[in-house]
Amino acid sequence: MALDVTMPVLVVDDYATMIRIIRNLLKQIGFTNVDDASDGKQALERIEKKQYGLIISDWNMEPMTGYELLKQVRAASETARTPFIMVTAESKTENVIAAKKAGVNNYIVKPFNAQTLKGKIDAVFGE
Amino acid sequence: MGAAQQKPKSDETSIDALINLSDKLKANKAKNMSLTDVIGVAELLTSSLQPLLRQIDSTIHSELRGILLRIEGLRKEIVKVRADDISNNKIPEMGKELSAIVESTEGATNSIMEAAETVLEIETDNFEDYKQAVSDQMMTIFEACSFQDLTGQRVTKIVQTVEIIEERINLLCEMLDMGDENLPEEELNQKQKRNKELLLNGPANEGEGVDQSAIDKLF
Repeated sequence: MALDVTMPVLVVDDYATMIRIIRNLLKQIGFTNVDDASDGKQALERIEKKQYGLIISDWNMEPMTGYELLKQVRAASETARTPFIMVTAESKTENVIAAKKAGVNNYIVKPFNAQTLKGKIDAVFGE
Repeated sequence: MGAAQQKPKSDETSIDALINLSDKLKANKAKNMSLTDVIGVAELLTSSLQPLLRQIDSTIHSELRGILLRIEGLRKEIVKVRADDISNNKIPEMGKELSAIVESTEGATNSIMEAAETVLEIETDNFEDYKQAVSDQMMTIFEACSFQDLTGQRVTKIVQTVEIIEERINLLCEMLDMGDENLPEEELNQKQKRNKELLLNGPANEGEGVDQSAIDKLF
């Protein structure tokens, strides 16, 4: 899978501030086609209407968490292989293992910087 | 049987009379007992139970009085916990302070981000203009950082309130002689069950959880 900075990216976080930070970081990296959602449920609505090349999601959200979103994304054949990066403050080993088992492509612990985000995106796309 | 018809004069005499009657009945096993004898035995048995019943009555009375005095004492002490003040004032005050902290940090973050975005988007070839524009935005950032002073004070107020509540709960536990032993297992409410199932642990404190490099090794 090649990294294409024009591909649509979906950022899912319940904090508008965090969405803004990630949007700015993605912009610095070169991504311009970025949508956002405030929880897993809203993200699924976006995913139904548009095919995303990358999903970056928080874990702890209401009513649907990022973990639940990940499982639903992996369960649907159309999105089963969509790159999914978890960006979260949940840093317990059990969370990381559960996310990996559910099929996450990479995992970033908050707070993070542009370099970490770029590094993980590159790693997911094999750059 | 004349002995059976005697009225006991005291607790000891009724017991003595019962023993005597028992001895006589044992000695006259062959003879049939008359109705008078049976009534006499019943009377003696009843009167012999009186001391025991009086003792039970006085023990219960004294224990109930003790419980009553303890409850009266506790009622006077529990007033000191001021539960109404905790639920009507302290907890809502803390909620307001926390909301104000969230609002001010959010406001400050937005101001700082706006300033940063403005700097990133400055388009000028003139160095002096660029310097002035950056300087203006840096001042905005400094101003926004003043939120830390206010939130610090609000956090201090919350900590003080939590300490007051802790003191009062400790007072209540002391009054009720409640220790940590034999505590029933905590029953999880709906929200806690959901958090447990979905691994919603929240941010880890320093030294807890795994860092990014450890996570990277798993991938």
